[in-house]
Amino acid sequence: MNLQTMIVSWRSMITVAEMTLRQTVMDSFIIFTVLLQPLIIALLALWMLRDKGSEYAMFIVVGSGLTGLWSSLLFVSGNSINTERWSGTLETLVGVPTRLETIVFGKNLANVTQSTISMIASYLLAGVIFKYNLHIDQPLLFSASLFLALITFISFGLVIAPIFVMNPSVQHWQNAMEFPVFILCGFLFPIALLPDWTTPISYLLSPYWAARALHGTSTGGASFEEVAFYWAMMILFSLIYIFISARLFRLMLVKARRDATLDVE
Amino acid sequence: MQRLAVNLRLFGQGALLSYIALFHWLRPATYLASKIFMPLAQISFFTYLGTFATGSDDSSFFVIGNAMQIAAVSGIYGVTMSIGGDRWNGTLPYLFGTPANRLVVFVGRASIHIVDGMVGVVIGFIWGVLLLGLNMSQTDLPALALTILITTYSTSGLGLMMGSLSLVTRNVMFINNTVYFALLIFSGANIPLATLPAWMQTISKLLPLTRGLDAARILIAGGQLADVSTLLVGEFIIGCIYVFFGYRLFRWFEIQAKRRGTLETV
Repeated sequence: MNLQTMIVSWRSMITVAEMTLRQTVMDSFIIFTVLLQPLIIALLALWMLRDKGSEYAMFIVVGSGLTGLWSSLLFVSGNSINTERWSGTLETLVGVPTRLETIVFGKNLANVTQSTISMIASYLLAGVIFKYNLHIDQPLLFSASLFLALITFISFGLVIAPIFVMNPSVQHWQNAMEFPVFILCGFLFPIALLPDWTTPISYLLSPYWAARALHGTSTGGASFEEVAFYWAMMILFSLIYIFISARLFRLMLVKARRDATLDVE
Repeated sequence: MQRLAVNLRLFGQGALLSYIALFHWLRPATYLASKIFMPLAQISFFTYLGTFATGSDDSSFFVIGNAMQIAAVSGIYGVTMSIGGDRWNGTLPYLFGTPANRLVVFVGRASIHIVDGMVGVVIGFIWGVLLLGLNMSQTDLPALALTILITTYSTSGLGLMMGSLSLVTRNVMFINNTVYFALLIFSGANIPLATLPAWMQTISKLLPLTRGLDAARILIAGGQLADVSTLLVGEFIIGCIYVFFGYRLFRWFEIQAKRRGTLETV
C-alpha cells in the first residue's frame, strides 16, 4: 500500500465515520444502547455500592461506560455489514474501489467513539446526582488507555461483523453475548469473584485488558509497568483481530461473489 | 355456543401461530440463546454485582430478584412483538377487517407468553440453585408456582399495553428496553425497596412484578401461601388494570386508524 492509497483510505474512513455519526445520532436504539442502558446500570451499581464509599464511584463510572462500549460494539458494529445488506447498499459498497474493511472500520470508529458518551453520562450521574467528588488519578495514562481501548474495541468489531454475516446462527446468540462479557471482563466487579476456570477466557478478551487499564489509571490502582502491560495486551489483541478480520473479510467476499448471495440471508 | 367455539379457536390459533412466528421454532438456537443462556448471564451479572456490593455470601436476594425479572422478558418483549408484529408485517389492515372478537385476539396473543414466561422464570431458578447457591429447600413450591403465574400474567398485562403503544409509535423497542431496564431498579429486583426515595417507592407500587417478587422472596425464605396472599391479590389486580388499559388503547388505535386511514403509517 503506497502513501497515496493510504491517504485515500484514511479520508474514506473519516468520511464514513462522519456519515455514520450523522445517520445514527438520533437513532433511538443507539440512544438506548450508549446512553440509557449504561446510565441505568450505573444508577443500579451506584445505589448498590453506596455503602462502599466514594472510591468506588469512579470504578462504576468507567465500568458502566465500558458496558455501553461493548453493547454498542455487539449490536451496532456487529451489524455494520448486515445493515448495508438490509438497506440494499451492500452490493454497491462491494463494487466501489474502497476496501470494505476500510468502510466497516470507519463505521465502527463512529460507533465506538459515540459510545464514549456512556462514560461521560455516567460521570455526570455520579458527580451531579450522587454528588461524588470524582477525579481521574492518572489523566494522561487514562487518556492513552482510552485511545487504545477504542482501537481494540474497533478491531474486535471487525471480527464479529463478518462472522455475523456469514453465520446467521451465531447472530442468534447476539442477545446472549452481552452480559457474559460484562462479567468476564470485570467491568463492574473483579473477576476474582468468578470461578477459577473462567480466568483464561477473560485473558483472551481484549475488553478485559481495556477494563484493567482504564480502572487502573482512573483509580490509581495500577503502576506504570502494569498499565504498560495492559497496553501491550490491547495492542497485541488488536493486531490479532485485524489479522483474523482481513481473512474473514476475504472469505466473506469470495463466498458472496461466488455464490451471488450478498443480498440473501 | 357456536360463537364461543369460534372464539376459543381464534384464541388458540392466534396464540399458537403468533408464538411460532415470533420465535422461529425451526431455529431452536434463537430460543436457546434468548431463553436459556441470556437469563443465566443476566442473573449472574447482577448477582455478582450485588454480592460484590454488599460483601455478603448470601446471594439469594439477587438471584430471586433477577430470576423473577425474567418474567418480563416474555411479558414485555414477547407480548409486544406479538401485537406490534401485525403492523410491521402489513397484516394489521386484514386483522381489523375481520369480524374477530378483538378482546379474544388481544388476550390470545399474550396467553402463550405467560406460559413461556413461567418456563423462563423456572429456568432462572434452576440456574440459581445449580450455579449460584440458591437454597429452595424451605420453599412451598405450589405457592411459588402460583406466584410465578400471577407475576408473569401481570407483566404480560404491561406487555399488552406496550404492544398497543407499538401500534402508534415506531420507537416501541426503545420504550420496551427502557421499561425492562427500569423494572430492574423499580421492582426491587436488585435494590431493597425500603432504601429507595418515597417517590420511587410510589412508582414501584404502580408497576407489575414488585409484589410478585416480594412474595417469591417470602416463599423461598419459608413462608406459606397465606403469608403472601395479599401481595398476590395486589399483583393480580395490577395485571388486570394494565390489560384493561392496554385493550382500551388497542381499540382506540383501531378506531382512529380506520377514521384517519393511518393503519400502516409509521
